[in-house]
Formats: sequence, structure tokens, C-alpha cells
Amino acid sequence: MSTTTNTAPAGSGSKSLASSTAFKTFAIVFGFTTATLYVLCDLMGWPLFSYHPATNRVELFYARPRQGEGPVMYWYGWTATAMLGAAALGMLATLLPQQVAGKIPLALVWIVPVLAIPLLFYSLMPFWTR
Amino acid sequence: MDDLFDFISTNTYWTILLIIHGLLAVALLGALTHQAMSVLMPVREAAASAGFVTRFRAVQGAGYAAAVCVLWVVTFIFGAWIYTEYRIYVRVPIEEGGFWKTQGVFEMKEHLATIGLGLLPIYWYLWKNSRNTEYDSARKWVTMYLAGGCWFSFLVGHIVNNVRGFGS
Repeated sequence: MSTTTNTAPAGSGSKSLASSTAFKTFAIVFGFTTATLYVLCDLMGWPLFSYHPATNRVELFYARPRQGEGPVMYWYGWTATAMLGAAALGMLATLLPQQVAGKIPLALVWIVPVLAIPLLFYSLMPFWTR
Repeated sequence: MDDLFDFISTNTYWTILLIIHGLLAVALLGALTHQAMSVLMPVREAAASAGFVTRFRAVQGAGYAAAVCVLWVVTFIFGAWIYTEYRIYVRVPIEEGGFWKTQGVFEMKEHLATIGLGLLPIYWYLWKNSRNTEYDSARKWVTMYLAGGCWFSFLVGHIVNNVRGFGS
């Protein structure tokens, strides 16, 4: 009978992630590109899929409401587009040389989401003016 | 799922999910508010006889980071789950009643929830490196953004629920 001993200290996984420059680069790029892509998806109408809740029908990309099938939802599709796109860009950013990745301003992670608010507010203008 | 509906009505099922969503949001709101206060008005020295406000903001913010991430994700999943029911049985009457601004603020809530989801990895990273003063400004603003988004979403959820009332 053989036994194995785990010598890694508890919590070492999160500690190594927290000290990883690759994860830092990924997290910065993921943070501000999620907001950017989400605003673009909302303004341009780019859902990865459309969902018809009354019939549980899922259609790829943008779909108009169908006769007699109730409303169609795009939020899930916008979220999927933004998350997958931001994850891909974040992964690509980790491949950049450290001297380039290190120059990505950290402030973008809060400036871009703040700037997204007036744009999203504007996109909802029909609700405010009706 | 059909077996479940032998015991509870569909209405009760969605109400239970809504209450769980609300309770998770309360926990998230508490954690983020403590953390936001701790970065906005940090307590420099331990004060044994400090008042309520001082003790409220004297928490170790870093200890909340993982819990906030988990709570945001789980609350988001529950919100996304009940959103399908909301779209048909709540939003349609809201539109028929002409409550356009109410629906507008709900749309803003869903936008902020998704953007907040995207900020969680960097939020976690910044708090895990809370001793690094280089990150102080970003950590403060990301935390404030999430706390503000959480408060907005919580209040909007409450208002939207009031449009049709509990259990309707």
C-alpha cells in the first residue's frame, strides 16, 4: 500500500494566481474589454444567441420575435458575446511581452466601466422619454 | 421538475427563487458596503472604544474578496434564472401599465450586473495584493463601482418587485 503526501500548503493555488503577472494581465484586459464589448453588443445588437423564453427556443445571433411565440431576450446573448470575447482578448494579452503588457494602464479597469454608464443610459433613451 | 410541482405551485417555486436571489443580494450588499467603507475611510489605528461607524469601516477588506466574487456569481446566476419568468410575467404587464422608466432602470441593473461580473477577476487580484500600495487607487475605485452597482441593482430589484407585488 502506498500513500502520497501533498506538500503544497493550503491556499497555495490562489496565492500563486495572485502573484502571477499573466493572471494580472488577463484580469486587467478582461475587466475593461468586458465593459467595452458589452456596450458594443448593446448598441450594435450583437447577441451571440437570442432566447425565446415562452417556447425555450434558442437561435444563433440576432433573431426577431416570432409570431405567437412571445418576446425574445438578447441579454444572455450580449453577456455571452462580451464574456467570451473578453476572455479571448485577455488570453491573447497574456502572450504579449512583459514590457508591453506591463504598460496597459491599470486605471482602465474602472475608467472604462464608468464611461460605459452614460452610453448604456443613452441606449435606454426610449424608456426615459416615452 | 414535474415531481417538484406536485408539492408546490409554479408561483411558489419562482417566489422561492426570487427570495433566495434577494437574500444572496443582501449578503453581497453587506460585504461590499463594509469593504467600500474600509477603502473610502480607512481606520488608521485600532480603537477599542470606537463607535459603530468606526467599527463598521474597520474590517479587513481583503477577507471579503473571495466571498464577494462567489456571491456576485451565484446572485447573478439566480437573477439570470428568474429573468426568463420576469420577461414574460412581469415585464409585459409593466409595459402594458406604461411603467417605462421602471423598466428602463431594470435594464440598467442587468447591464451593471454583467459589467460587474467582468470586473471580478481584477477585483480579486487587487484585494489579494492589498499590501501593494501601487494598486490602492484601482482597488478603491473597482470596489466602489461594484458596491455602487450592487446598491443600484438591489434597490431597482426591490422597486420592480413592488410593481406587481409579492407572489403575484
